[in-house]
Amino acid sequence: MKRDILFKIIVFLAIISMVLTACSSTSSTNSQKPSDTKAKNAENINTEVQVDAPFDGWVEGLPKITAPEGFDWKQFEGVELNVITENTPPSSALAANINLFEDVTGIKVNIEQSDLGTVVEKTSLDFNAKSAKYHVIYADPYQILAKHSQHFVDLNAFIDEKTMPAIPGGLEDFIPSQLEVNGYMGDTEALYALPYDNPTMVLAYRKDVFEKYKDEFMADKGFDWTPGPNLTWEQYYEAAKWITEKAAAGEITEVKYGAGHQAKQHDSLMNDYSNILAGYGGDYFEDTELGAVGKSNPGKSAMTSDAAKKSAELYKKIIDVSAPGSTSWDWSGLGEGFAAGDIAMAPEWHEFSSMFENPDSSKVVGKVSWASLPKGDVRQAHSYGGTGIGINKYGTDEEKKAAWLFLVWATSPQAQYMILKSEVGGSTPTRHSVYDIEEVQKGMQAGTEESKQMPNLLPMKVTLEAWKEENVYMRPKVPQWPQIDTFIFTELSKMLADQQTPEETVEEIAKQSDQATGN
Amino acid sequence: MRTNAEYSKLKDSNQTNYKKEKSTSFLNLLNIKKYKTEHWMILPSIIILAIISIFPFLYLIYASFMDFMISSDQPTFNGITNWKKVLINDTFWASWGRTLIFAVVGLLLEVMIGVGIALAIYELPKGRNLVVTLWMIPIFVAPIVAGLLGRFLLNSTYGLYAWLLSLVGIDVQILGDVKTALAAVILMDVWEWTPLITMIVLAGLQSLPKEPLEAAQVDGANYMQRLIKVVFPLVSRTILVALLIRSMDILRFVDTIKITTEGGPADSTKVIGFYLMEVAFKFQDFGAAAALGLTMLFATIFLGKQFVNFMTKGDE
Repeated sequence: MKRDILFKIIVFLAIISMVLTACSSTSSTNSQKPSDTKAKNAENINTEVQVDAPFDGWVEGLPKITAPEGFDWKQFEGVELNVITENTPPSSALAANINLFEDVTGIKVNIEQSDLGTVVEKTSLDFNAKSAKYHVIYADPYQILAKHSQHFVDLNAFIDEKTMPAIPGGLEDFIPSQLEVNGYMGDTEALYALPYDNPTMVLAYRKDVFEKYKDEFMADKGFDWTPGPNLTWEQYYEAAKWITEKAAAGEITEVKYGAGHQAKQHDSLMNDYSNILAGYGGDYFEDTELGAVGKSNPGKSAMTSDAAKKSAELYKKIIDVSAPGSTSWDWSGLGEGFAAGDIAMAPEWHEFSSMFENPDSSKVVGKVSWASLPKGDVRQAHSYGGTGIGINKYGTDEEKKAAWLFLVWATSPQAQYMILKSEVGGSTPTRHSVYDIEEVQKGMQAGTEESKQMPNLLPMKVTLEAWKEENVYMRPKVPQWPQIDTFIFTELSKMLADQQTPEETVEEIAKQSDQATGN
Repeated sequence: MRTNAEYSKLKDSNQTNYKKEKSTSFLNLLNIKKYKTEHWMILPSIIILAIISIFPFLYLIYASFMDFMISSDQPTFNGITNWKKVLINDTFWASWGRTLIFAVVGLLLEVMIGVGIALAIYELPKGRNLVVTLWMIPIFVAPIVAGLLGRFLLNSTYGLYAWLLSLVGIDVQILGDVKTALAAVILMDVWEWTPLITMIVLAGLQSLPKEPLEAAQVDGANYMQRLIKVVFPLVSRTILVALLIRSMDILRFVDTIKITTEGGPADSTKVIGFYLMEVAFKFQDFGAAAALGLTMLFATIFLGKQFVNFMTKGDE
């Protein structure tokens, strides 16, 4: 009797569940028609005349935010925009100054900041549901844009729309390599995002240590160890080993270790190793054109090359003489280790400069210099980690237009300048025009008042050099990257733990990459 | 005495009756008239149960046979591809292996320490409530916070434990070394969840009948004898309940690993829960993730069933 009732209940539940499953399979198909991009009062707008926007924060020398005559900045008043972004300095600065945008437009902006993994997860689920819970998205070129470009609005529709505000200074004011990697996917037909931040790996080093022991090292090793474009990765290894040994013997007291690295089993490990791999002429795929606009199929892995093997061997050697904490550090851990005064050299994202120059978080204030990364057999290579912001195409037309106004403002030269100067921000601008301002130029000189106000400008001279085409390293922009990235840093982590040789490591990466890409 | 022919006839007729009965009972389900008021009263609960539990379960099974990459508009049927992808994968089995090590070592430590502390608290003449309150604090900490605490304490730059170890000449990077990382995250879990075991066992101890203990004492049994012969047999089921709760929970252990080691170094802390999260949310391969999740579900059901069987043994 009991069993019979139980059986009936189970059958009943199954029937309900099947009905629900069937209902859920019929997903709503979102209209693929081009959106209406016109301003609400388009008939009253004179597109021949541009009028300055009423935003605060403009300074002499920067392109202004403008709109065609008659454009009503309050036309989307009441619209609520949800922005999802990684918890990075520019996002904190925007959140702290969002009233500058809200007061002018009447648009309410909610900025949600999370770690990148969470941003990727939430964005993916939102795209899958086509619900546009998030209207403006931090479009990481490798983890989000490469995989989901079809879910973004083609910004050309707004750029070509004369009744809406244009990008101040035009697209040409963005640093070209950054616009390419952050904005496009597969080709340059559609523009999905505008450059928003641009962390790049350069070398932070303790100038006090390098000056004090320069002669002693030179007498011992026979070469000038000053970090810069002439230092090779082998010489970097020699310098790191020498300092670590001398510090262990008590002869060097300023630091404990010659170098520190972000070699945790994490995305940071891939970035850290990529500087050496690319320096020796290697890359992750045979197709070397993947770093800019990207491709949907990257082709065969290039990780069995001699450059890959050599760079893996050297990387292992370097980590073995670096701070032992390196294998548990991502970029934040390395930053903390360097700021604590334990390390003489650290390949680190240039935006950590503000942390190193902040007395509340650092013991090395005033002792840090920046240089380009050492070179390999072929070139110097600096991993680039910048991101753009784009618009979710599943929002309503009104939300998309409101989001466009936000993009125009958030990526404008004056907003970038505000972020640079913000106490909670400190990110470096993605605009040429901001770097041309005299105040910013002075800020790049160590010891000036401006450099104290904007400490992230201290590494900018070497960072601007690092952004040049011959010096920058853009990792492959392919849809399979999150998986391949995981294979790379997991296998490298096994190598650093002495579980496999460098040769076995690169071969394993190549094998897994080819499996993931179907090559 | 029946002939073989009679036997087979009887068997056939029994089978026919059974089939008729089954089909009738199924059709009876659709006979609305026969339902009583109480049936209609539990209907909303059944529907809610279907929505929040059975439907996702069936959907998970459905997804495990589909090409469910998030970038595709409509999932397509791909047979057992996802299952093959999951089962013919070294990382999957290695993650299960680590999960088993994690579960066995973690549970053993939690039970031994938890029961020990419960017995100690039980014997306290006074101040029991205060001790229990203090001992329970870790349970109220979110696992992510426990992970952060562990990460800060073991940080080689400013961590208290790292500094204490360096004073005695141990300069090991606990979370950055394959030999110590797994042990460290197990200990973080033990720190957080041992009090739960203590609380459950303590509740069991407090509900023990006084007579057997007094009788044992009158018979001259010492403390250890009373513990082994009387107390443990009486609270064994309570300990089993605590074990069941924790073992199911430990299979899903992710938070602390995510915040401390992210599965490293060299995959040494990549347990099955973390691997599932990676496949689902990083690789965004929901088909494979569904198959992987189902293996975890089957393991949990199997484990639960074993416990239930063990506990109901001798009840019938």
